[in-house]
Amino acid sequence: MAEKPIQGEKRVFMTGNEVVAWAALAAKAEIMYGYPITPQNEIMHYWTRLAPKFGKRFLQTEDELSAGFTTLGGVLAGRKAFTATAGPGNTLMQEPMSMAEMMRIPSVVIIQQRGGPSTATVIYSQQEVTMTTYGGNGEGLRVVYSTANHQELFDYTIKAFNTAWKYRFPTFVLGDGYQAKMRESLTIYDPEEKGLEFVPTETFLGKAPVNGVKQPVHLRNTYNTEEELYEVITRYMEEYLKVAPEIIEHREFSCEDADIVVVSHGVVSRAAKVAVQELREEGLKIGYFRPVTLRPFPAEELKKVAARAKTLLLVESAFGQMAKLVKDAIFGSTVALENLFKPGVGITSEEIVVRVKEIEKGALAK
Amino acid sequence: MGKAVKIALAGEGGQGVQSVAQIIAEAANEEGREVLYIPNFGVEQRGGVSVAFLQIGTDPIGSPKFQKADIVVALSDRAVIRTRQYVDEKTTFVYDTSIEGVEEELPKNAGRILGIPAIEISKNELNPRVFNIIIMGAVIKATEVVSEDDARAALEKKLGYKFEQNPELRELNFKALARGMELVEKAR
Repeated sequence: MAEKPIQGEKRVFMTGNEVVAWAALAAKAEIMYGYPITPQNEIMHYWTRLAPKFGKRFLQTEDELSAGFTTLGGVLAGRKAFTATAGPGNTLMQEPMSMAEMMRIPSVVIIQQRGGPSTATVIYSQQEVTMTTYGGNGEGLRVVYSTANHQELFDYTIKAFNTAWKYRFPTFVLGDGYQAKMRESLTIYDPEEKGLEFVPTETFLGKAPVNGVKQPVHLRNTYNTEEELYEVITRYMEEYLKVAPEIIEHREFSCEDADIVVVSHGVVSRAAKVAVQELREEGLKIGYFRPVTLRPFPAEELKKVAARAKTLLLVESAFGQMAKLVKDAIFGSTVALENLFKPGVGITSEEIVVRVKEIEKGALAK
Repeated sequence: MGKAVKIALAGEGGQGVQSVAQIIAEAANEEGREVLYIPNFGVEQRGGVSVAFLQIGTDPIGSPKFQKADIVVALSDRAVIRTRQYVDEKTTFVYDTSIEGVEEELPKNAGRILGIPAIEISKNELNPRVFNIIIMGAVIKATEVVSEDDARAALEKKLGYKFEQNPELRELNFKALARGMELVEKAR
């Protein structure tokens, strides 16, 4: 039973939900708490099939509020715990994750976005960006990785555990229904064999006495005065902003001489990549920019690109949720903004190519 | 940059379009190709048209779903109607000739329309159970994305445990695969 879940490297062909379960095993997660909701159900299905073989555990709770709070309880007891949800479940998850932000409890949540608002579709969207980045009743003291393919889903799920435990901010892996349900190839591996070191977990509550003296642990989510809270939040924000540059990740190519830069994230960035490559082959000056961390956002990196480009084309399967993050990041820039917003549906490279050519044509007409 | 071959397979629940798509996907993956397969899914548990989206290429695949397919295979009247949206002048549209009164519904803008009697052959000549394997043969012939040998190997991998119990099943499946390829060859 003590054998490693993954020996060496292995090329596999599976769904994204299965990838997440393998990644959590590879990251040495000990327990998953969860409540079923499409399209992320198979994460817990695969976890419950795989985990017992390696001495790991699972608890199905009565809803997502409970799944979130039990995850935090598991972490306080010293366990590497995680949960996964989607759509309306993500809405409920904001309450426990706000507590995690206030009490600085490391936690990992996998989100597979579906259509919204409310029940909407069980299929796909990028409409949970605002909620996942700033959903709590606070300042968004959290990390959000937006993945684009199965390899990243594996890599970033593993990374999320280290980010959460290193910085003690709740960390989200933001996928979507397409990534959850599609099958494609990736290489799974044992992270430690690749030299990755895991940040150790610690028991927050019920610690053993030191030299016979029990040390009190004081984790608060309640404050009596405005000033008390202000002091704490100010300190947390300072810490967050200080470590943000270490956490921020983005990808870009062909931006140096680009007139139009396509900005997209997650699964849509796959279409953007193909579109930019095709348009470059046609000789158009087009660039590609993709935030991997949506929170903290790669603001300085995008500012540099915006300073050179004439237009940013913002493409997302939502009505401007990533666009809000972009506008906040590049405030003061005079770059023109165009968009291709398709809330709740997928976006193909062909559509992006058409949109870019429309913009090009408009620019020439002027 | 070689564009991926885009395939949409559609049928009634139980016709096995998802398992066919998955076997083809796995066969192509075994060949070292870039493959992406995604089923459509919704809140309906029964009674919907089931569509499988499959892309096979040499470069990493872009978006999981697509607007126009190179090959559409539709196995019921509702599937024909549902998949017309994926057809343009470059699309080869394959349908089953036993679908009654469907001629009017066929997409007139398709590059090529191939009618194959797969349902009939599975009933009269082989076995209704291997209907979807005939379709698999038709798809690999129409797209030429996977060799017959690799398709056989994929079937072996998927159904090997059944073949062990009953070797006649192996023969039946391989025959159905070959027959499906033949049907497309003839329809051309």
